[in-house]
Amino acid sequence: MKDVLEEATEIWFGPQHVSAHGWAAKLTLVGDYIVECDPNAGYFHRSAEKCLEFRDFRQGALIMERLCMLEAFLAEYPYVSAVEKIAGIDVPDRAKIMRTIMMEASRIHSLQFWWGQFAAELGLFTMLLWPWVDREFFLDAFEELTGSRHAVSYNTPGGVKYDFTDKFLSKLDRAIQRLEERMPKFRDMLLRSPTFKVRTKGIGRFDANQGLRWGISGPNIRACGVPMDLRKDSPDENLTYDMADWEVPTYTNEDHPGESDAYDRMVQRFLEIETSVDIIRQLLPQVPEGEIYERKARGKVNRLPEGEAYGRVEGTRGVTSLYLRTMDKAQTPYRAKIRGPCFNSYYSLKHLVPGNKFADFIVIFGSLDPYPGWWDR
Amino acid sequence: MQIDFFQWLAGIPTWLYDIIMWLHGIIVWIFNGVWGIFVFVWAAVVGNFWFLFRAIIFPGLVFIVLGIIFAVWFTRKMWGRIQDRRGPTHIGKYGGFQLFADAIKLVSKETIIPDKAKRWMFRFLPCLLLVIVLLPFAFIPWSPSWFIADLSVSLVLIFAFLTAVPVIALLAGWVSGSKYSLIGGFRAANNQFAAEIPMIISSVGPTLLAGSLSLMGIAQAQSNVWFVVLLPINLATFMVSSIASVGTFPFDSPVADSEIIFGWRTEFSGIYFTMTYFAEFAEQMLYSAMMVALFLGGFHGLPFLPPAMNFIIKFLIVFFLYIVVTSSFYRLRPDQIVEYCWKYLLPLSILNVVLAMLAIVYLPGLAGLLMIGG
Amino acid sequence: MGFFSTLGDIFRILRHVFRQIFKRPFTYFYPFEDREYPERTRGRHIHVRENCTACKQCVRVCPVVAIRIDVMDQKYNKDAALYFDYTRCIFCGLCVQACRFNALYHTKVVDISAENREDLIYGPDEITTLDREPLEWRGRRFR
Repeated sequence: MKDVLEEATEIWFGPQHVSAHGWAAKLTLVGDYIVECDPNAGYFHRSAEKCLEFRDFRQGALIMERLCMLEAFLAEYPYVSAVEKIAGIDVPDRAKIMRTIMMEASRIHSLQFWWGQFAAELGLFTMLLWPWVDREFFLDAFEELTGSRHAVSYNTPGGVKYDFTDKFLSKLDRAIQRLEERMPKFRDMLLRSPTFKVRTKGIGRFDANQGLRWGISGPNIRACGVPMDLRKDSPDENLTYDMADWEVPTYTNEDHPGESDAYDRMVQRFLEIETSVDIIRQLLPQVPEGEIYERKARGKVNRLPEGEAYGRVEGTRGVTSLYLRTMDKAQTPYRAKIRGPCFNSYYSLKHLVPGNKFADFIVIFGSLDPYPGWWDR
Repeated sequence: MQIDFFQWLAGIPTWLYDIIMWLHGIIVWIFNGVWGIFVFVWAAVVGNFWFLFRAIIFPGLVFIVLGIIFAVWFTRKMWGRIQDRRGPTHIGKYGGFQLFADAIKLVSKETIIPDKAKRWMFRFLPCLLLVIVLLPFAFIPWSPSWFIADLSVSLVLIFAFLTAVPVIALLAGWVSGSKYSLIGGFRAANNQFAAEIPMIISSVGPTLLAGSLSLMGIAQAQSNVWFVVLLPINLATFMVSSIASVGTFPFDSPVADSEIIFGWRTEFSGIYFTMTYFAEFAEQMLYSAMMVALFLGGFHGLPFLPPAMNFIIKFLIVFFLYIVVTSSFYRLRPDQIVEYCWKYLLPLSILNVVLAMLAIVYLPGLAGLLMIGG
Repeated sequence: MGFFSTLGDIFRILRHVFRQIFKRPFTYFYPFEDREYPERTRGRHIHVRENCTACKQCVRVCPVVAIRIDVMDQKYNKDAALYFDYTRCIFCGLCVQACRFNALYHTKVVDISAENREDLIYGPDEITTLDREPLEWRGRRFR
């Protein structure tokens, strides 16, 4: 009997491929089928962990938010949280709730970006632009609040930098209203589209046990019906998710409960956005009056005591966390280790892709909502 | 040797005369030749003036190339509008000269030919593609008087020409010497395999109703009732399968940019890319014109307009529908294209032909309106 | 029924796309018109030398070492000349935050492209003045 691999073709998907922005995977094809997939990390490496060791505790958050510009409010939080834990800074209540609101807004805008990106990977450029138009409203709101659209630099150890203004609140409200107005249209264009269904149903399916074993977190594992969410499971004392009444969004497909394919992950992202909108709507009236920045923190972050801390947050793509270790009277961290959410989902391609057609590779990859900045740091 | 010097002197005038006569003979010969060519060309131009005018100016080359330029601009503008953008704006009024700028830029760029490519074929195939796509425009009946050629089998001939397009795509993918372009070439062939049979079956309906295989004959046969009244499903199936055959957006797996970089066009650059790009739009225009001629009454329409204007208005509407359809659906996988084309388009197109036949048999008034026979 | 419901979905999508054509585009004619930038826009800096005390806090806090200070170049009582390297600056706003004497501000000018690298290093002459009004560019006025 002849070995099928004798006729196999090796093809590099990336790093110069148009949809491989900063990554490369080696695919082995037999005919139109992929028999082996070897994802490669390292094309996007910016040595962020080493950079963090040379920045003091005010500047470190700037490095963190540049790892993933799409969820800047979320990405800079683990560092800020770890620094606050080591320095023993109490954050004012107003800053806590403002952080939470902005993190949820950041999550919405990141998911909208992913809608467009996934649609473009599936070959529909109309849906690339439509969610991005709505995303502009969120970016305008961010700019009104912080002065920058992407690199917000909002959270800082001890609170937040910029206070809410009336103009910002009206802009955020307008962004959410527009999102809710356009939601039925996106349901028609994405979930009910026949061509979307035939491209994504049954593609890249894994069950909850596999997903947990591979370390997948966030919406990808919640689409399997596992209510695993850091916002609910281990509520951070500096965030106020408990002030809102909400459920962990999970989606269970009746046809294959406990498993998720690319279509289920898209449905899950719709639920995520609805939950985030719900949380923002509930938290906005509860913002108390008061300080947004703890005055004592200004002196405390100059020199940190010896200690170690683990800051983590439920990011858009999964658990984002950072381990920080400082020596006594340290101006800079001794060691910082970032745990990005996408490393696990990227390397799970090794198990998800073989057996699928070549055209489905980018669908599986895109449905996991990967961002190269999170696996290369 | 002894020379009689005076005799030699006396012979010089004769010698000069002979030389002059010889030169005169050459000049006369050249003049006669040139005059003959001139007379021949003059006769050819004046005698065939209107044919040449049609072939080169109005329904011919210049008109088609201007039409392609307009089509590219119109498509980009419409895509921009659909995607909440503005499209090209800067060069010319409403970006009308954008394509000229793009073409000049692309032509002036370096032509990069990969090491593993077969150089001669790599240069030859895009030119052949453009020629083959432009040839069938000769058979489009723009009006009863403005057409280039009217053969009794022009519809068959158009399909024969267009069958060569995916073959060229496959060859181009092959000679490019890249894995991605080879995959794209096979996908182009796969698209044509899926779409060609439904498309030809869809065009069987108008052919049967008109009793003619010539596009002009089919267009003339719709003077009383357009065939879209009898064959609405065939119009839809023809449209879908023609989109699949061209390989634009819902069926763009041959050039799927997120999967295989640009399919069989990956390695083309500069002028060769421009040719393949033009060929795609020319093919879309050709199918739109065929849809007008086959189903939408050709040059019949508003009586106070010239027939060619009627044709062009309908052509623009069909092209607009093309753009709307091509920007609303996700890309299908190659095997799904084959599946849906054979599973749905083929039975639907046959069904509509059968329904139209039954309608003619059982509605005698309808048969009177159609010019059945031939 | 599956076939007809699929057809219904297809026509609903076509309707959405068709309606979109007749809507006003969302984008601006960028060089000719621009949006209004908010108050907090972190654009290029402006240095008020009258207030500056050469305390070097902005230099110390800058994470990318984009600011260079020349304390010998004094124009007023105890000020200093600042050199901003906009090839390095990431517009994080830390220097403005660190300035206790209201001597450093962000402006709304965000388009600071230049032809040479050297033009992006703003010396004391350029950083203390706005060379143009924020709403004006290439001889045209934004709305």
